[in-house]
Amino acid sequence: MGFLWTGTWILVLVVHSSPIQAFPKPGGIQDKPVHNRELSAERPLNEQIAEAEADKIKQTYSPENKPSESNYSFVDNLNLLKAITEKEKIEKERQSIRSSPYDNKLNMEDVDSTKNRRLIDDYDSTKSGLDQKFQDDPDGLHQLDGTPLTAEDIVQKIATRIYEENDRGVFDKIVSKLLNLGLITESQAHTLEDEVAEVLQKLISKEANSYEERANKPTSKTESQTGKIPEKVTPMAAIQDGFANGENDETVSNTLTLTNGLERRTKTYSEDNFEELQYFPNFYALLKSIDSEKEAKEKETLITIMKTLIDFVKMMVKYGTISPEEGVSYLENLDETIALQTKSKLEKNFTDNISKLFPAPSMQSHEETDSTKQEAAKMEKEYGTLKDSTKDDNPGGKTDEPKGKTEAYLEAIRKNIEWLKKHNKKGNKEDYDLSKMRDFINQQTDAYVEKGILDKEEADAIKRIYSSL
Amino acid sequence: MAGRRGRALLALCGALVACAWLLGAEAQEPGAPAAGMRRRRRLQQEDGISFEYHRYPELREALVSVWLQCTAVSRIYTVGRSFEGRELLVIELSDNPGVHEPGEPEFKYIGNMHGNEAVGRELLIFLAQYLCNEYQKGNETIVKLIHNTRIHIMPSLNPDGFEKAASQPGELKDWFVGRSNAQGIDLNRNFPDLDRIVYVNEKEGGPNNHLLKNLKKIVDQNTKLAPETKAVIHWIMDIPFVLSANLHGGDLVANYPYDETRSGSAHEYSSCPDDAIFQSLARAYSSFNPPMSDPNRPPCRKNDDDSSFVDGTTNGAAWYSVPGGMQDFNYLSSNCFEITVELSCEKFPPEETLKSYWEDNKNSLISYLEQIHRGVKGFVRDLQGHPIANATISVEGIDHDVTSAKDGDYWRLLIPGNYKLTASAPGYLAITKKVAVPYSPAVRVDFELESFSERKEEEKEELMEWWKMMSETLNF
Repeated sequence: MGFLWTGTWILVLVVHSSPIQAFPKPGGIQDKPVHNRELSAERPLNEQIAEAEADKIKQTYSPENKPSESNYSFVDNLNLLKAITEKEKIEKERQSIRSSPYDNKLNMEDVDSTKNRRLIDDYDSTKSGLDQKFQDDPDGLHQLDGTPLTAEDIVQKIATRIYEENDRGVFDKIVSKLLNLGLITESQAHTLEDEVAEVLQKLISKEANSYEERANKPTSKTESQTGKIPEKVTPMAAIQDGFANGENDETVSNTLTLTNGLERRTKTYSEDNFEELQYFPNFYALLKSIDSEKEAKEKETLITIMKTLIDFVKMMVKYGTISPEEGVSYLENLDETIALQTKSKLEKNFTDNISKLFPAPSMQSHEETDSTKQEAAKMEKEYGTLKDSTKDDNPGGKTDEPKGKTEAYLEAIRKNIEWLKKHNKKGNKEDYDLSKMRDFINQQTDAYVEKGILDKEEADAIKRIYSSL
Repeated sequence: MAGRRGRALLALCGALVACAWLLGAEAQEPGAPAAGMRRRRRLQQEDGISFEYHRYPELREALVSVWLQCTAVSRIYTVGRSFEGRELLVIELSDNPGVHEPGEPEFKYIGNMHGNEAVGRELLIFLAQYLCNEYQKGNETIVKLIHNTRIHIMPSLNPDGFEKAASQPGELKDWFVGRSNAQGIDLNRNFPDLDRIVYVNEKEGGPNNHLLKNLKKIVDQNTKLAPETKAVIHWIMDIPFVLSANLHGGDLVANYPYDETRSGSAHEYSSCPDDAIFQSLARAYSSFNPPMSDPNRPPCRKNDDDSSFVDGTTNGAAWYSVPGGMQDFNYLSSNCFEITVELSCEKFPPEETLKSYWEDNKNSLISYLEQIHRGVKGFVRDLQGHPIANATISVEGIDHDVTSAKDGDYWRLLIPGNYKLTASAPGYLAITKKVAVPYSPAVRVDFELESFSERKEEEKEELMEWWKMMSETLNF
């Protein structure tokens, strides 16, 4: 789909990630045209072969470099780039061999699926020279199988970085900088996020599964048909636990204490109302978090979307358009995507976006929704801090703000207790002090609520945290 | 056939996925409000300090977090509400929060009085977190400061203005939007103009301090005063502040009294009686801020006149005349010495620069805090040891007196030198003492004042004694 140009833009993006921490340096911008040029024309075969060998060495090095890459050093980026382009070329070659049986089918695709093309073109910036590559490509499979893998590697690295940094903000910054510079369009940016999230999901799953028994390999290479999805139940469970073990504060936690969150998640796993949706723990948790009374329509809509998507993927796998693993990973990624994204913006955008999402599955409306989304996203970007949540703290609506706030408060309380314990070591009055602290905190939080310094919920949360110590 | 449909479906699927992404798209945008920022905070965090702009909810949350982390040495309170109802929050750091310990000087930092001058607001939030962190780490300087000072930090005196300023689209913020409060009042021109009174007193004779008589009439019943102004005035009258700084933006200098020119001209150096100590205080801030104290720094804007700047400091009126400002109000209505610090050429710079502003100002903020422990301090008591509140402590050669607080405690900032201090109170006999003042720490000088009646009694007794002696000698 949009993998090819996405991949290219990711290369550009990678080049730009080096000056993230400071103001963009002129040097970074200069390098861009060089890389664009490289990608716009096929490199000579002997070069590719030579680099393929070098790539093997680089492949082993770059994973090791990952831990220390938090500085976004330019050298690392170049290595990354080289590794990626090499891999890209290798995969291309591999794919071109694989693709020959499907040639006929896909040529027809090229001819008949002009509608598709247009849709994808909307994602693409017609300004970018990479479009030519996309359209000139006679072998349609490249777009699906060949180039995705290349983008995947790039995306893999980025996702790894985000994983390591444990912060999506990394990506946000890159994207916003690119958008600001007008290098990518909104839709490209969004699709880019898709890719990165997919891989991030994989990463997390991989990490999770490395804890679990080796028996359940989530991305097993067995070529089976549509029955693949039900097989994913156990790996999903593993992923789910992996989530619990892993980045707790990043993933959905619908309650204050982390333990409760874990329980809740396993609970949703058992009490599933929707047969297929049980395989998507984060999505299910999201559904739970929606206030049933207020947003029943949205809930229904969400469910329908998911089901539709699952059906689509099933169909695609059935038709052999994508491999089963891809289909599964697609859905897994979607789950993760939803978990990450809607967690923060659920109450706000849900009503707007859902209604826009659902007019009709026709291409036209999708183009429309895309552009409206682009507009909305652009506007939101421009009026970055426009939303003034000063007066309407929205206790009901903002289910997510308390989560982040509570985390911060939790952290602060933890530090306080730590310090108190250290400080009172001589006194040996630890337990006594804790109960005294509790009383003091209760008293103070009440006083603060009265004076308007704290919300009632915040005060309750704090009291709860202290009482649970 | 099948493949084509599959591809169409895949594309559709992708579209839906993209739309699903867009569900949360806004959260990823750079300036996204609270929840999105919270995630980004993790990246820019350094020991709990998140270098990003805090809107009102985040400001409150940040202060609450500091309090939760350092409950033993902190307390949050509010001095009042802004016009639109936002609390004017203050976080207090001291070893006995909420209590004025006799002899412990009180300090305040006020930021964001002009809502669009945002750096001060953020620096003060960072400072609160920093002080808490360092205290718990056992940083000796900070521990000493917190144990011996009562530090009040008000990140924003104009939260309404800030919201207006921050809501502007794009990174380039207007020079004026959000400057005044919600009523359109420039808070730093809204204070009662005591400079005028003092200039008259200089000519015709009169005091140079505590010129705000009749608080009720001039403040409470004054319709021209903004609620924020009123709140601060009451705050100043309630707490015996000794030293203060008022953080602004739009230039890079430490500014000291007087702010208003004597003659009424646009700018002329108008020194106050404590010019020497003020210069020293201003320098104590600027010298630790590299760009501020850089003599070769070009002015913020090409045609700016920074001819009055010396070592990163300037007399207010020499720079340009400001009537009704908070700085001079402090000096002329209370014991508090306040300077105005301009922190940034740009009033509302991009968020990414906040960290570097913190680095530039961190040491200055601490250094200025430490200045409170200078000069002379002590207690004024009567012969029975009871504190005498509101006693006057005057310094020979400096036409500006300070008064003792409720516990009889006083603090008099002075540059190194030899001084004669006189403590007096109505109904008491004044006492003068000589003091040699070093740079730091403050010298302790206590006064035990004898009241008139006591003196009369004494004299009577002396008389009786003499009479007795005389009578015995002469055999009455």
